[in-house]
Amino acid sequence: MKRGIWDRETVALLLLAAILPLAVTWLLATGMSGAFRLLFVLVAAGAWHLVFMVARAQPPSFAGAITALAIAVLAPTDIGPFAMLLGISFGVIAGELAFGGWGRNVVNPATVAIAFLGFGFAAAPWPVLPVQLGWSVAAVAAIGTAVGVMSVRVIAGAIALLLLGWWQGLLTIPAFTAAAVVLVLLVCDPVTAAATGLGRWLYGLLYGALVLMFAAGWHGAAPVQAAISAALLVTLAAPLLDEIALRIWLARSKRVG
Amino acid sequence: MASSESLWSTLSAPLIRQNPVTLQILGICSALAVTTSLDTALTMAASLTVVVVVAAGVISLIRRHIPSAIRLIIQIIIIASIVIVIDQVLKAWFFELSQRLSVFVSLIATNCIVLGRTESFARSNPPLRSMVDALGSGLGYGLVLVLVGACRELFGMGKLLGMQVLPLAESGGWFTPLGLMLLAPSAFFLLGGLIWALRSIWPEQAEAPEFPPYSRGPTDTGEAR
Repeated sequence: MKRGIWDRETVALLLLAAILPLAVTWLLATGMSGAFRLLFVLVAAGAWHLVFMVARAQPPSFAGAITALAIAVLAPTDIGPFAMLLGISFGVIAGELAFGGWGRNVVNPATVAIAFLGFGFAAAPWPVLPVQLGWSVAAVAAIGTAVGVMSVRVIAGAIALLLLGWWQGLLTIPAFTAAAVVLVLLVCDPVTAAATGLGRWLYGLLYGALVLMFAAGWHGAAPVQAAISAALLVTLAAPLLDEIALRIWLARSKRVG
Repeated sequence: MASSESLWSTLSAPLIRQNPVTLQILGICSALAVTTSLDTALTMAASLTVVVVVAAGVISLIRRHIPSAIRLIIQIIIIASIVIVIDQVLKAWFFELSQRLSVFVSLIATNCIVLGRTESFARSNPPLRSMVDALGSGLGYGLVLVLVGACRELFGMGKLLGMQVLPLAESGGWFTPLGLMLLAPSAFFLLGGLIWALRSIWPEQAEAPEFPPYSRGPTDTGEAR
């Protein structure tokens, strides 16, 4: 084994294994309609991975399945198949494959796809997540951090603020569930999350703070909508947070000598 | 016939091969702002084409008399005068349309395409050639505007030039308008996709990659660097 076992697909498979509890819980809660939805998204996203493999020799990734699950769980419901296909294609291509595949993308493709569908079809209702999905997040976070594909700092920072908001009565149970599911499905994606120690703390805290801010000030927003918007904004801020962490680290190392 | 051939190539080059918007990424501010519907895009394209052609002609006529030190001031004054005339014409005859175009017709004065063509071409070429070159640039800009504008109006409202083309779902048809198309980001997406498509068809338009991807050589052991 010349190259070790930690290549891109190992990370993707471990992530997939970590979110299995959530996937199973969601499938149990939604039944056949959920299974069909997931299958549809899987086929659509997988087709684009194959197209890019043929056209640009980009190896497809198991991470596409995570993207598909996130879209199936979180995308607005009651959207026609053609519109759904458009949103998935946009997210997968413009969010991930155009940059060279999973690992080179700047934003999470599922976040892009869901935000695209949400803003594009503003009248479509957002899904209401079953409450047991929130409990499965605990299992996902435990597996993800134990095998090292999710950052403890991100989860700790975000959950701390979310719990604070819940304790203060700012977050309702559906809002907390949505924020937690989005946290493990989208925000903890190791590619688009912050990559430095301090950056990850800031990243998790910023996500929690944005969710709390939307809960306090954004009236009429569905819980999932607010969480997705927070995830989109915090993803864009991740490079900045890393840059701040690096500057602080450099300044300190210069001072120490 | 050599000169007429080169006149033709001067006219046709900026349409696709040297398109000011998709290759030089100039003038995209207005290209994004006025393309929510096809009629505003067409008006804007026509206005800009007129301005750039007339400005190129005038500046080319007096090119030997423009002191180089104040040439930008002179060019801006000429361009701005023409823009004001166009703006007044639109307000006089197409008032409703000019209201929807709001400030963007006046902003043609600062459009990079106009100043770019007068500064780089009309200042050193005879009037006919300059005007043909300017016409090509204006048409190239208009081509992109019309494409983006048609896409946005068709998919955002199901209309073209105000006429219902795709039957809306709320009035018994099958088409659900994509509200995102009427927001500013969609113009970026469409323009980006257009540039991507053009540069895939004509790879010589693509810029050299700033960060070439790391490739495994035959001697590489695959260790992380």
